[in-house]
Amino acid sequence: MDRPLIRGIDLTKVYGDLVALNTANLTVMPGEVRALIGSNGAGKSTLIKILTGAVTPTLGKVEIEGEYAPLGDPREMIRRGVACIYQHSNLAPAMSVLDNIYLGRQPTSHLGLVAVKRQRQAARALLDRHGITLDLDVAVGSLSTVKQKEVEILKALALEARVILMDEPTGWLSASEVGKLHATIRALKDRGVGIVYISHMLDEIFAVCDTVTVMRDGKVIAESAVVDIDRPRVVHLMVGEKLARESEQAGQHKRRPRGTGEVRLGARRLSKHGVFTDVSFDLYAGEILCITGLIGSKRTELLRTLFGADRFDAGTLEIEGKRVSLSSPRGAIAHGMGFLPEDRHREGLMLDLSTNENLAMATLSRFRSGILLSARRLSKSARLMIEALSIQPPDGNRAVRLLSGGNQQKTLLGKWLTLSPRIIILDEPTVGVDVGAKAEIYAILRKERDRGAAVLVVSSDLEEVLTVADRIAVMVSGRLGDVRDAEATDINALVREIGSQAA
Amino acid sequence: MTEEDKVAAGDRRNFLKGMMLGSAALTGAASGLFSKLDFAAGELGISQVRADTPQRIKMAFVQYQPHSVSSAWGKGIGEVLATQQIVDYQQLDGQSKLEVQVSLMDTLISQGVQVIFVQPVDSVGIAPSIQKAKRAGINVITLNIDSTEPHAAHVEMNHYFGAMDIAKTMGDAMGGKGKVAIINAPPGIIIRDQRTNGFKDGLKKYHPDIQVVADQSADWDRKKAQDVFNTVYAANPDLAGVYGVNDDMALGAVDIAKEKGLLGKLVIFGNDGETAALESIEAGELTGTQYTDGLQQGRLAAATATVLASGGVTPDAFAQQGHLLMPYIIATKANVATILPYQRW
Amino acid sequence: MTIRPATLALVAFFALSMAVFSVFAPRFASPSNIEDLMGGFSFIAILAMGEAFPILTRGIDLSVGAIVALVGMVIFDMSLIFHVPGYVIVPTALAVGALAGAVNGMLIVFVRLQPFIATLATLATYRGIVYAISGRQLVEGLTTTPIRDKWITGIETYFDLGRMLGIGRMVHLPAVPLSFLLMLGVFVILQGVLLFSKFGRSVLTLGGNAEAARLAGLNTGAITVICYAISGVCAGLAGLMLVAKLTTSTEGLGFGMELSAIAAAVIGGVSLSGGVGSMFGPALGAFLLGAILLGLTLLQVSQYTQQIVTGCILLAAVGYDRLLLLRRLRRRLANTG
Repeated sequence: MDRPLIRGIDLTKVYGDLVALNTANLTVMPGEVRALIGSNGAGKSTLIKILTGAVTPTLGKVEIEGEYAPLGDPREMIRRGVACIYQHSNLAPAMSVLDNIYLGRQPTSHLGLVAVKRQRQAARALLDRHGITLDLDVAVGSLSTVKQKEVEILKALALEARVILMDEPTGWLSASEVGKLHATIRALKDRGVGIVYISHMLDEIFAVCDTVTVMRDGKVIAESAVVDIDRPRVVHLMVGEKLARESEQAGQHKRRPRGTGEVRLGARRLSKHGVFTDVSFDLYAGEILCITGLIGSKRTELLRTLFGADRFDAGTLEIEGKRVSLSSPRGAIAHGMGFLPEDRHREGLMLDLSTNENLAMATLSRFRSGILLSARRLSKSARLMIEALSIQPPDGNRAVRLLSGGNQQKTLLGKWLTLSPRIIILDEPTVGVDVGAKAEIYAILRKERDRGAAVLVVSSDLEEVLTVADRIAVMVSGRLGDVRDAEATDINALVREIGSQAA
Repeated sequence: MTEEDKVAAGDRRNFLKGMMLGSAALTGAASGLFSKLDFAAGELGISQVRADTPQRIKMAFVQYQPHSVSSAWGKGIGEVLATQQIVDYQQLDGQSKLEVQVSLMDTLISQGVQVIFVQPVDSVGIAPSIQKAKRAGINVITLNIDSTEPHAAHVEMNHYFGAMDIAKTMGDAMGGKGKVAIINAPPGIIIRDQRTNGFKDGLKKYHPDIQVVADQSADWDRKKAQDVFNTVYAANPDLAGVYGVNDDMALGAVDIAKEKGLLGKLVIFGNDGETAALESIEAGELTGTQYTDGLQQGRLAAATATVLASGGVTPDAFAQQGHLLMPYIIATKANVATILPYQRW
Repeated sequence: MTIRPATLALVAFFALSMAVFSVFAPRFASPSNIEDLMGGFSFIAILAMGEAFPILTRGIDLSVGAIVALVGMVIFDMSLIFHVPGYVIVPTALAVGALAGAVNGMLIVFVRLQPFIATLATLATYRGIVYAISGRQLVEGLTTTPIRDKWITGIETYFDLGRMLGIGRMVHLPAVPLSFLLMLGVFVILQGVLLFSKFGRSVLTLGGNAEAARLAGLNTGAITVICYAISGVCAGLAGLMLVAKLTTSTEGLGFGMELSAIAAAVIGGVSLSGGVGSMFGPALGAFLLGAILLGLTLLQVSQYTQQIVTGCILLAAVGYDRLLLLRRLRRRLANTG
């Protein structure tokens, strides 16, 4: 019986009131590729950070090849053979491949000079042993992304890593490049290296992984061999069994599929090369349409083209029956559109400015008095919005950075609502928002809908989708499925469609 | 890198190597490495480090920084040199930086000028450059600010005795008693000691009851002098007199005095005699200044230079440094009208 | 070690400038002018090489001019007020430079100031200290006393190569100043460290991707402090060389020199976003600036035009740096798929 390469034993991490990880267990055997999946906030990153030593767990131990490892020390973990390849590149782009493989750990002679010849020989040996071809002298920055990933893998191997953790390794790769990466992973498998493969891409998991661990709400809720499980079951595990109960409660609210019957926004066969294909749907005034699917189905990319932040390559967009060509968000705003991006910190709010200022951001021209801004009018308008949305604390001069996630999101919403938009597009609106604020936001969306706005929500949270949608559509790998009425939706069919393979 | 890249890179490298060697050869040739050729002077002959012989004489003036005083000298110098018909003259800006003046002098020496006029930013710091110039057979004439290294001639506005006279006249205007403040030049230049010592010695001699309560530098600058005056006045509200070691600084004190309505109560003296100062005296604001004809000073310096250059006098012919003191008057409201327009600068 | 195309372009441009000036500017190619170039700009080259280290870590050092003045005044005081012998003063001067630089590094690492802010603050502070300790203000008469200590003035010596090699009668070689030889020495040492030592690689790593450096276990704090200390030592050496040349020190010494140092470094191909560069570029960049300055002066071009020319060269260098970056990105996109 082989000894496990690494074992996380009853790992728990508590941040104040928040339990990020709750008695999580993870085992990787030599030559095993274990998938680690779960939605945002499920605890995956915390678990990985503990295994790499970046974070010290509150409780629990980590055992590496039978020995307990000291926790919270990255250098120790590296020494014991645990390497992590992060989502974002950890290479120095201007330095050569050779230098990057030994980044920070160049072999030295006694004078402190780098032993270049020894380094090169060792690198060549590594390349040969693992069957990877790379030009050692080219600058890493000019390599394609998949080749850069190979350099990162080689960097991990040079560390003599026995376990390699890969965080969303295929994030920026094209289909053919993913294939190349999987081939490399299989080669590593054959040499007895253990791999933890963190990803949302079910296709990939079923293609290259041996086992899967599913996490939700900080706990490991299931482990299985890949051959013993199927897609729907995985999705079910990810989103939770209690979904069935929740959807009944959601039925209390009146649904308005197709709203007033007037088509506000029409997408006709929109395509963007390599991203999404042939997307068509109608968004009616007075309804909430939810597009759901797994992360990676390119919904955000679709939304960005609707708002004019990106361009699509083929197809047309119609607003109120007329064809439009949006070259920038300004054009979209002029047509009465508002857009709440997924990353509200980076793309939505000015964290260091006050609530008032953020609320007024999109409508500053209204508060002009000559060439100056009328602070009085601005704060009056802001006060009304703060009251209407119950933003806590009601002090408009507070820096938005200090607000809770839910209140930040409400502020962002408020910014757009000041414009009285005719079309509101939201991308993952309640990520990182507490339960109470979630309900408030849903209520706000319903109010806007009843006022006659057309609301489009993209969400991976099935609970949310079933609570708030009038109509639902599923996007899988860049293709949009049929739009159906929410009330008529069978949850299982929905789940099946979400987990289905790409066409 | 692909094979093509490697070949291309190799070609590039070879080409550039060739270029480098070619240019090096050209430069080498030009630097008289092959002593028969002198690319630079455009003739075949031994290249010289010494100054050019006759046809045209080159001279240059390295200022402290562009200023009404040095401009006046420049004009005077230019007038005289232009008349000589064989002199090429250029005026350079030292940007108030010693390093810049040193670099400019180095270049002038290479250029083969025969006379350098200089208004040093630092009397000690310019000394090595003057030494170098002397070794190259160049005569150096300093204007107003002397250097520690002996050179051909120093032409100055009579700092010491003029300052003594200022002390006398100022003291008379103050009634022989009270407190004065000195708004001074930046440190490191001999003129500062001369004018300050002259003033203090003058007070000791003629008005021993007058007390110097402050002596602060305002870097020749009017704006800085305003700030200095504010501070000094705040510390000494019973101040009766101010000596600004140049007109700019004195006028800075005048500005603030005007603001505070102190003009009748303060006796303010400057030094140099610029038009702005003379007009201020006529308006009854500045009490007086030491007036020297700056244009004339330039002309006299140029005259000295021309005689030295055309007469072939080299630095080693001097037994000691030549010295020329300019005539002056202490200009006050009483006699300022005697200074005629063509004498104003 | 591959030679970057940017460096080759710089060498070509330098050679071209020298050639053009030699032909068109009177006396440019004379031995005395070459001496002026070597003697007058070696200390800028040293400043530029020192400045390159902070820039390589994606930082910047704005205080080098102030450190030059600080060291200069320390030398002045030690020599003329306290009459300390020269062989003690020289190492002290370098130590002061190193310390001043290390302070910058520590402000950046421990107080977490941005390099721009930290070195701007020390620039002002050090200049203030210079005035406070200025022997010229404190002691009467020192303003007109030159430094005569042989250990210091000896730095400003010229070696008559022609005579030494015995060919003085045949060719007129420019005399080589000691400052130029010192500059070569600094170049050899720093270039060696940068290219061949682990520390050098760590500096490039830190500048290329700070997060990667941290995750790779590098002691980023120590590396940063040492880089700024190197900048300080070079400034100290430059100060020493300047004082030797001038036989005195002024409060305003080195004013604005940080800009020349940074310009020379950038022209020399050191990227402001960190991680790219060597010592050869900054040194050559400094002499290029010097050649242009001297050449234009000899051509009697106004000094204001000279500044414009320098500015244009700086713009061209930065633009070229950007162009190379774009080309690299484009090549990478082409390599995809």
